[in-house]
Amino acid sequence: MTLVIKTVNLTKRYGSLVALSNLNLEVEEGDCFGFIGPNGAGKSTTMKILATLLQPTWGEARVCDFVVGYQSRQIRPLIGYVPDYFGAYEDMVVREYLEFFAAAYNIHGTARNKVVDDVLQLTDLSYKHDSPVDGLSRGMKQRLSIARTLLHDPKLLLLDEPAGNLDPRARIELRELLKTLRTIGKTILISSHILPELQDMCNKVGIIEQGELKYAGPWTDIVRKARTGKIINVGVAHNATSAAALLAQDAAVVSAVVKEHFIEVTLHEVADDFSFLAAKLIAGGYKLTLFREEEVNLETAFMRLTKGMVQ
Amino acid sequence: MPGILTYLWRLFPGNPILLRVVAMGSKRTRDLIIRCIYLGALVVIVLVSLAGVGSSAGNDLAKLSDASTKIFQTLSYLQLAFVALLAPIFTAGAISQEKDSQTYDVLLATPLTNAQIVFGSLFSRLFFVFALLLSGVPIFSITQIFGGVAFGDVVQSVTIALVTALFTGSLAVAIATFKIGTRQTIFSFYLFNIAYLVGLYLLAQLPQMRIPRVGPDGGPIGGLGGPSNISWLAAFHPLLALQVVLEPLKFTPPTASQLSPTLSRWPISWALTNPVGFFISLSTFLSIILVLPSVVLLRRIAQSSTTFINGIFRKLKIAKNSSTRTPREVWNNPIAWREGSTNASAARSVFIRYGFILIGIAAAGMLIVAHSTEAGTPARFIDAGSFDPLNNTLLLRGTGGTTLMVDDATSVRILRDEFDANGNRLWQAAGRGELNRRFEIANVATQTRGTVQYARSIDLTEIPRQVSTTSARRFLLGLVLLQAVAILLIITNAAASTVTREKEDGTLDLLLCTPITSRYYMWGKVRGLISYVLPLIVVPVASCGLFIAMDALRFIKSEITGNDFVVRPEAIILLPPLLIVVAAFAAITGIYLSLALRTTVLAVMSSVGIVLGVCGGLAWCGWGMLGNSSNPIALALGSFSPFTVISMLIAPESLNTALINPPESAAMRGTIFVTTAVAIAAYAGGLYYAYISMVKNFDMTIRKQSR
Repeated sequence: MTLVIKTVNLTKRYGSLVALSNLNLEVEEGDCFGFIGPNGAGKSTTMKILATLLQPTWGEARVCDFVVGYQSRQIRPLIGYVPDYFGAYEDMVVREYLEFFAAAYNIHGTARNKVVDDVLQLTDLSYKHDSPVDGLSRGMKQRLSIARTLLHDPKLLLLDEPAGNLDPRARIELRELLKTLRTIGKTILISSHILPELQDMCNKVGIIEQGELKYAGPWTDIVRKARTGKIINVGVAHNATSAAALLAQDAAVVSAVVKEHFIEVTLHEVADDFSFLAAKLIAGGYKLTLFREEEVNLETAFMRLTKGMVQ
Repeated sequence: MPGILTYLWRLFPGNPILLRVVAMGSKRTRDLIIRCIYLGALVVIVLVSLAGVGSSAGNDLAKLSDASTKIFQTLSYLQLAFVALLAPIFTAGAISQEKDSQTYDVLLATPLTNAQIVFGSLFSRLFFVFALLLSGVPIFSITQIFGGVAFGDVVQSVTIALVTALFTGSLAVAIATFKIGTRQTIFSFYLFNIAYLVGLYLLAQLPQMRIPRVGPDGGPIGGLGGPSNISWLAAFHPLLALQVVLEPLKFTPPTASQLSPTLSRWPISWALTNPVGFFISLSTFLSIILVLPSVVLLRRIAQSSTTFINGIFRKLKIAKNSSTRTPREVWNNPIAWREGSTNASAARSVFIRYGFILIGIAAAGMLIVAHSTEAGTPARFIDAGSFDPLNNTLLLRGTGGTTLMVDDATSVRILRDEFDANGNRLWQAAGRGELNRRFEIANVATQTRGTVQYARSIDLTEIPRQVSTTSARRFLLGLVLLQAVAILLIITNAAASTVTREKEDGTLDLLLCTPITSRYYMWGKVRGLISYVLPLIVVPVASCGLFIAMDALRFIKSEITGNDFVVRPEAIILLPPLLIVVAAFAAITGIYLSLALRTTVLAVMSSVGIVLGVCGGLAWCGWGMLGNSSNPIALALGSFSPFTVISMLIAPESLNTALINPPESAAMRGTIFVTTAVAIAAYAGGLYYAYISMVKNFDMTIRKQSR
């Protein structure tokens, strides 16, 4: 696959503050790459470097094989950048705003009218074309931002916290829009704090903390890595307390704690086969309603990874 | 502590808003530097002046006393100019406080009273100005050592400056509280202050604005515009009031007994007989009037969601009530479109631009009408058709009209705008051809040869107009200078906010991600600014053009000679490029600081300071140099000062009467034309170089600020 983003030892310093440290990142064409990290981890700095707004202090960043800094002019037509704020011009209506940026991308004449009509339709903003930009709701502004990035049909979309401060409906609409964009072949680098949504949209994620990339790859891999293999959730039809006591007697079990809907059993060691727990319960006359390894999602994986619990 | 004392303590010395600013302001390096520069300038002026006087006056105490008076006058005018220019800058920040609601809303949610917030805001902004004024008092006191300066004069001079600052601050706080303006209003507020000070000062120079005085018999004494008379406006203008304090012999207010009965009623009589006391009282009273409603209504008004000015614009249909509007066509250069079209069509810009154009053209039109209209029909006069060259007869019209014979021995003189060394107009010999133009007959001497009466000598003067040619020149010069300053302020504000505004609202990053190059971006900015400001530049050019066109018509009809033009015709060639170059200088300075600085307020204020400082400094040098000399070197150097060139083109006699005296004036006009053209070309070249260098360094300048 063709690499759309490639960074090699990418480092950015602001005085003594290290915002990025030797970041090595690869995003392939067609990927929807979720960029996850706490506030101040370096996500926005990475985005800004890729958007040609910042120069790296050290290392190299490439977009579609063009080097940021040396070949920024070639990069700009290839990217669409949505920062973590909405850059609004006063006294412009939606259509003027889009035509303004279309002109900035050297789209003129009838082609400009057509492309503006198309992106308005794609982002479902046609009915707002004559409304002042600064009067739009946050959700609409965010859709307008994305419409702006689509004007010149870029290969890569850099979306920095696009769902921040959006209400649930706007978030869902945005998620659907991004899914549509992915289906039409756009490569997307998106940062967000709302991990379940990233899990829903992205095929790959990167976790960054204190300027260092802790993990990058398919999110299914990280979830798999985050699984401990030591925690088993067991459900019984009745008498959960006595069932937990029964399980706790086993030498392989550290603890068996009754939760609201199940018993959380922690084993001493990772066990590939933990069917002995089920056998013990059935032998004790309990009816099993649930028996599975603990469910791990992106949120859990992120928490464990950033606490150093995953190696 | 009794309740009222506690209240007052919390209101002023214990006011937390004020205390914070006082504590922080005293420690800020920027404030310390400004204080040092201001006080250093005062000290240098005093020391240099005293050193100069000391060597020439020797032991003559009278001379020392005179010198001391002059130093005091210079310091007082400087101090007032400082307050008039800087008080709006320091107080205008109050206007934007409703925008900075992150702190403002928090303050409103505290138990602080409205009065504490309003007075805290007002005095915290005035603290710096007040502190500077008071720190200058000891330097003022030095002038008292040599006599010639009364302590009362020092007190009055400082008080005029203090109340001027107080009124400016109160106005800014009232605008902020009543949401009459927003952050963009800061500049309009500044412009209004300057326009008020300059406009009213120029208006006060009109002879019609002088206070008429009556003698004991009820008749006028001294006539209009006598040297000891002062303007009605002295009671409403800080500089005019200060003139009354500093130059009492020149600006003597009338006594109550010298006022006509209609003007003898209070408070008119108070304003006319004691303009200084009236100005101080009125400014203080108006400050209280402006602040009190803010104290009462602060929290209530803070709850409303619209601004007063937007409401008015909507009512006037300048701003649309509707939530939608038809999209405009975006130009191929979107940056230029944004600068030239959207900014210019914003309600405030429309108001300022069209207001400026209408007022400018209307003022010029009124001046032309006043200049064209004769003050009255003279007793004896001649006009077209009076002289019959075939029969050599001259028909004198008016009272006792008669016909005289004119021959080669008849001497004809006309009082023209030619001046002696003392600035008095001179009689100039004229040919008989002049006898067919409209003139008042000042004097005619006759002799009878046989039965025929011959004219031995005829003295002609222009028929007095409502505004004489000399006055028209001076008013037009004042008008054009005022318009030029306003244009400079408008373009400097627009240019200095052009990039910082995009930095502040985050749109610059979006543009930097597009393929727009720095050259394209900068050219878009410049082009947009030019299309925004060109209609404004047309106003002073058209004002002069109207006079030139009117005089050209009269010249074609042989009513006037080439020397009688109110405005020199070459002005129509030189003024447009000159004003464009000056505007370009303001634009380039503004854009440069807008690129280099982070906030709009800082960029605008720095740019305004530099542009006005450079233009004002050059004008001061040019006016000073040409006031003393009219040799070609002085003319050539003066041509490099734009405001001096404007003065030379419109009212040269206001600089130096030698500039208007023929036949030398023709050579001087040629010199001025050529050297001004060279100066314009040189400035244009310099500005182009600055522009290219700015484009080259654009990426470096912008990216240094990226975070």
